[in-house]
Amino acid sequence: MNTIPHPSVKSLIWSCISSVLIATVIFVIAVLPAEYNIDPTGLGEKLGLTVLSQTGDDTLKASIISCPETTELTPENTVTQKWKDTVVITVPANKGLEYKFYIAKDEKLEFIWNTDGEALYFDFHGEPEGDKTGYFKSFKESTQNQSSGTLSVPFTGSHGWYWQNKSSKPVTIILKTRGEYKILGLL
Amino acid sequence: MFLLSHFSMPLTHKKKFIVIGLLLLIFNVSSFAHGVDSNTERFLTTTHGSAFMPFLYIGAKHMVTGYDHLLFLIGVIFFLFRGRDILIYVSLFTLGHSLTLLLGVFNHINMNVYLIDAVIAFSIVYKGFDNLGGVKRLLGTQPNTKIAVFFFGLFHGFGLATKLQDFSLPQENLITNMLAFNIGVEIGQCLALLFILTLLGFWRRYNSYYTFSTASNTLLMSGGFVLLAFQITGYITSV
Repeated sequence: MNTIPHPSVKSLIWSCISSVLIATVIFVIAVLPAEYNIDPTGLGEKLGLTVLSQTGDDTLKASIISCPETTELTPENTVTQKWKDTVVITVPANKGLEYKFYIAKDEKLEFIWNTDGEALYFDFHGEPEGDKTGYFKSFKESTQNQSSGTLSVPFTGSHGWYWQNKSSKPVTIILKTRGEYKILGLL
Repeated sequence: MFLLSHFSMPLTHKKKFIVIGLLLLIFNVSSFAHGVDSNTERFLTTTHGSAFMPFLYIGAKHMVTGYDHLLFLIGVIFFLFRGRDILIYVSLFTLGHSLTLLLGVFNHINMNVYLIDAVIAFSIVYKGFDNLGGVKRLLGTQPNTKIAVFFFGLFHGFGLATKLQDFSLPQENLITNMLAFNIGVEIGQCLALLFILTLLGFWRRYNSYYTFSTASNTLLMSGGFVLLAFQITGYITSV
């Protein structure tokens, strides 16, 4: 029968030193660049690992480029619908995010959005104001690369989309809206 | 109970467990991320009322994909050869983490997720060092390993509690949902242990298990150190 080996003090010290060394190498070369975009050796970038952390929090924070539509109202052509707000939202690879509007009951939200090609899973839904139970009402749930329509808001609260990008590349959405609302933005 | 019978199991039964184990491995690799992914997060933030099965599933998934809990368990059972011992140690670990998981959520004890995960990572380093006989050499006597496993179990439970509370859990049916999560954690732990024990069981038949035990525990410590550094960096960059 085999017995549990008891390493000598020398071997114990070697074990500790080598475990710290192995951990340091893995951490500095791979984990730091991939997880935190910190790359002290420069190897992370050479190996392409920093990409992982760059598409993470950075894009989540800086993914909205607000571009208020230059609404040049031509007096002759008021029939043509002009959007009130246009926003470009980037959903990082393998991530999901929400973009919301605060809208009062019985108001209307007109919208149109499309992605740069890739279809995204989305849930268009609303949450009543002041609700703490986590209740939400889903208006539309599907996987598409565009959607448009008009929502008659059933209750006062935050309304908007949850998009999920299951692909390995960031997907850009252009969302145009019109109506009486307050933009809550990315949540 | 199956842990007890595991060692006297005929080979045909073992084959079944290998299949289950391999399925678990695939599941483990594909879900990859530890903690709660965006889908689960979405469920947790939008659900209300009682949801027994979903919470059971989340608990089980958390354990099966939670490499820090699994590395610690590997360390704990590394030198346990009798089914009875494995059952006692795993039960102590379960008791420890269940206690703090339930207490933590009920009393809204919310610790910094990075710091609590750093303690969990340290528990892996400790167990690897302990398996090398280092703790005994350092202190002169071997501290009670059962108390140690229970003690670290408490921290693992706080980790679980903290992660669940990061999302505004519905207060109604909290008890049902918490119990479901806890039961799920135990189911996941059992499944993961079956897989680990099957693999270790095979390796233990060969002398290489004993010749490489020092290297194995050194690697275990390395894994713990990487996780420790990962969590501490997370804490520093988040403040």
